[in-house]
Amino acid sequence: MEDNSILFLKKRFARYYRNEKIELPERFGKREFAFMPFGAKMMRRHLAFSKRSSFISFIQRMTPAHAYYSSAFYQKPDAPTMDEKEWMGAELIFDLDLDHLKGAEGISYEEGLKLVKEEFRKLVEEFLLDDFGFSKNKLLLYFSGGRGYHCHVVDPKVFKLSSSERREIVDYITGADLDEETLFRKRVVEKTKVKGRMLPSVSRLEIPRPSEPGWRGRVGRGLIALLKEVTSEGNNIEHLKRYGINRKDIERLKKELTKERMLRIAEDGVIDQSPFIRRFFLKAAIQKAAISSMAGETDEPVTCDIKRLIRLPSSLHGKTGFKVCRIKIDELEGFEPLRDAIVFSDEKVEVDVAAPLKIRMMEESFNLRKGKQRVPEYLAVFLVARRMAKVI
Amino acid sequence: MRDLKTLARYPFLSEAKEYVKTLNVSVDELLLDLTYEKARIFGVERVENAVQKKNVGERRLLSEADYLAEILSYPVARMIVVCVDDAYFLRKYALGESVHAYLNLRNESADFLAAVGGDIGLSVKVDGDRLYVHFIDYIRYAPTRYRDWKMVNRPLKNGYIVVSRRDFARLLQECLRRRIVEELEERSCSETVQDAFPEELGRFRNMAAMQRKRFEAQPVGRISVTKLPPCMKDILASMQAGENIPHMGRFAFVAFLNALGVNSGEILKLFSTAPDYDEERTRYQVEHVTGRISSTKYAPPGCEKMRTYGLCPRDKMDDICKRVKNPVVYYRLKSKEMRKK
Repeated sequence: MEDNSILFLKKRFARYYRNEKIELPERFGKREFAFMPFGAKMMRRHLAFSKRSSFISFIQRMTPAHAYYSSAFYQKPDAPTMDEKEWMGAELIFDLDLDHLKGAEGISYEEGLKLVKEEFRKLVEEFLLDDFGFSKNKLLLYFSGGRGYHCHVVDPKVFKLSSSERREIVDYITGADLDEETLFRKRVVEKTKVKGRMLPSVSRLEIPRPSEPGWRGRVGRGLIALLKEVTSEGNNIEHLKRYGINRKDIERLKKELTKERMLRIAEDGVIDQSPFIRRFFLKAAIQKAAISSMAGETDEPVTCDIKRLIRLPSSLHGKTGFKVCRIKIDELEGFEPLRDAIVFSDEKVEVDVAAPLKIRMMEESFNLRKGKQRVPEYLAVFLVARRMAKVI
Repeated sequence: MRDLKTLARYPFLSEAKEYVKTLNVSVDELLLDLTYEKARIFGVERVENAVQKKNVGERRLLSEADYLAEILSYPVARMIVVCVDDAYFLRKYALGESVHAYLNLRNESADFLAAVGGDIGLSVKVDGDRLYVHFIDYIRYAPTRYRDWKMVNRPLKNGYIVVSRRDFARLLQECLRRRIVEELEERSCSETVQDAFPEELGRFRNMAAMQRKRFEAQPVGRISVTKLPPCMKDILASMQAGENIPHMGRFAFVAFLNALGVNSGEILKLFSTAPDYDEERTRYQVEHVTGRISSTKYAPPGCEKMRTYGLCPRDKMDDICKRVKNPVVYYRLKSKEMRKK
């Protein structure tokens, strides 16, 4: 980034940090802090603050592009190595990110954020509240300021969980390793008499009841919803592609999923013995119900990392200028990141836009052409931070 | 108070401890007095069985005096194990005690199990014959390396998982095992124990040393330990210390060795030192990974995957680590470098 762009952003960020009350996490004195200065390549890590005032004066003096803190508490948070820090415990973090959302390639930033929000809602309501039974006041929800949402579980019960125990939680949420045999139980529907003894001759696999707890109920509900989708749209099951089913399988499904078989699932609650149909429904139901955009499925799963740095709430994200802002659970539904995470003014600033662009921010639609033009400050910060425009 | 028979079966209960207190037996008396000879014989047997049979075993208890000896044999066994002073031996003993408890607990009522849980630190809600365990306790103690134990395959609601009596007994087993390990790791050996069991202690230390030698001195097939990347060194070290390795760690280690041409038999030998070693199951798993009994030969996980599963000891990373993306490449590179020198 050129110098005047950096200067432009830094000036705006400085004003924010001067005027805004930055909220500090609980037990902040036991946390490690890290900052990425503007234009720098290296993060400044292993910082600790014992007093609020020293933190405030530090962040005002530095005006970082990115600010992080550790989800873990340490005896000595400013020690240079992890061993010396002496880990005491860590919050449980969930990080849902647009970059990990399946099938989101090629959709716009705004659309993508909506999809992630929906997944995030599912994570919070269906998993963290319903299944895991966390109480609402132990869940802190944040917009990441970038491409996703974070949930911090601050229930002391989770602080001591080890990395592999956290992995088990991730596996639960992503539906990894679901066992077909526990989901579909065998039920004998016909018996024949052989040499005076009744022996099972026909058995079918029972689908789980929707009201059952945990994944059984979830798959049961998913199956019924899927069935409705398949039947309501007649023979057109092309849209099933969105559950990651390939064309070949869809063709085969069209052939194998006879009316008779569908009826059997819907009315008798038994799924056909055809392994293909069973796998299809299972795969699709899991896809529907699981959380797939958990950040770090390919790199580091944030949730399992007990020494992770995470964006500091109420700091600004250096690549968007948005605030990492807290969302109350009851307000998640109506949360609009491109309105509620904006902290800058609508004072006009002249920028040079690199390529034409449409975006909706602060409930206003912008249709930007390539070249110089005047835009509100919040949009200018966003464009410059994302390197889609230069300041003049 | 519960009857002596029950306390003899579960001598780790605090009630058993309380009972022993009321007897006013000093440690010296227990270790040296002729009155308690049977307790000492039973104590040695506990340790011996734990190490050799993975279960401290049942003794024929015919009288009140026998029950008492059985109860007292528990502290005796613990004192002996502390004096053997070997991490692996200690873990084997803890496993032997907890497996013994499990086999008996399987047949107990839900209320009894809940009471035992409350005593050793695993709380549970009881509703008739159903036991509700909080998921945090569940993931702490359940052997989630097995698929049917994974939380995803259990009914979880409002933070609680319903488990059967048998499954809860299994959770108690792990809870007890860890508790024993933690308790005994903090103790130090008293001289009286040394004097009371000179011959037995010698024998046990020998057994421990033999085990240690078996896995330390032996190169892994043709593999040299000095060339192992830090992650694999860590896994090997944990294995040799008798710690349980998470599933992914075992898998990574097997796939890694297999990629370097170590055969299944040699890999199996390494695993035989794990405290919960089960030959048949391990053979199946190893041969599955190496592709002997499955259609796929699994590729060893790369550094990124290792990091994902928290198996990459970042603080131990060296220069070669930074240059490679797979532990196998590390090994080859290191071999090359060592040849040059």
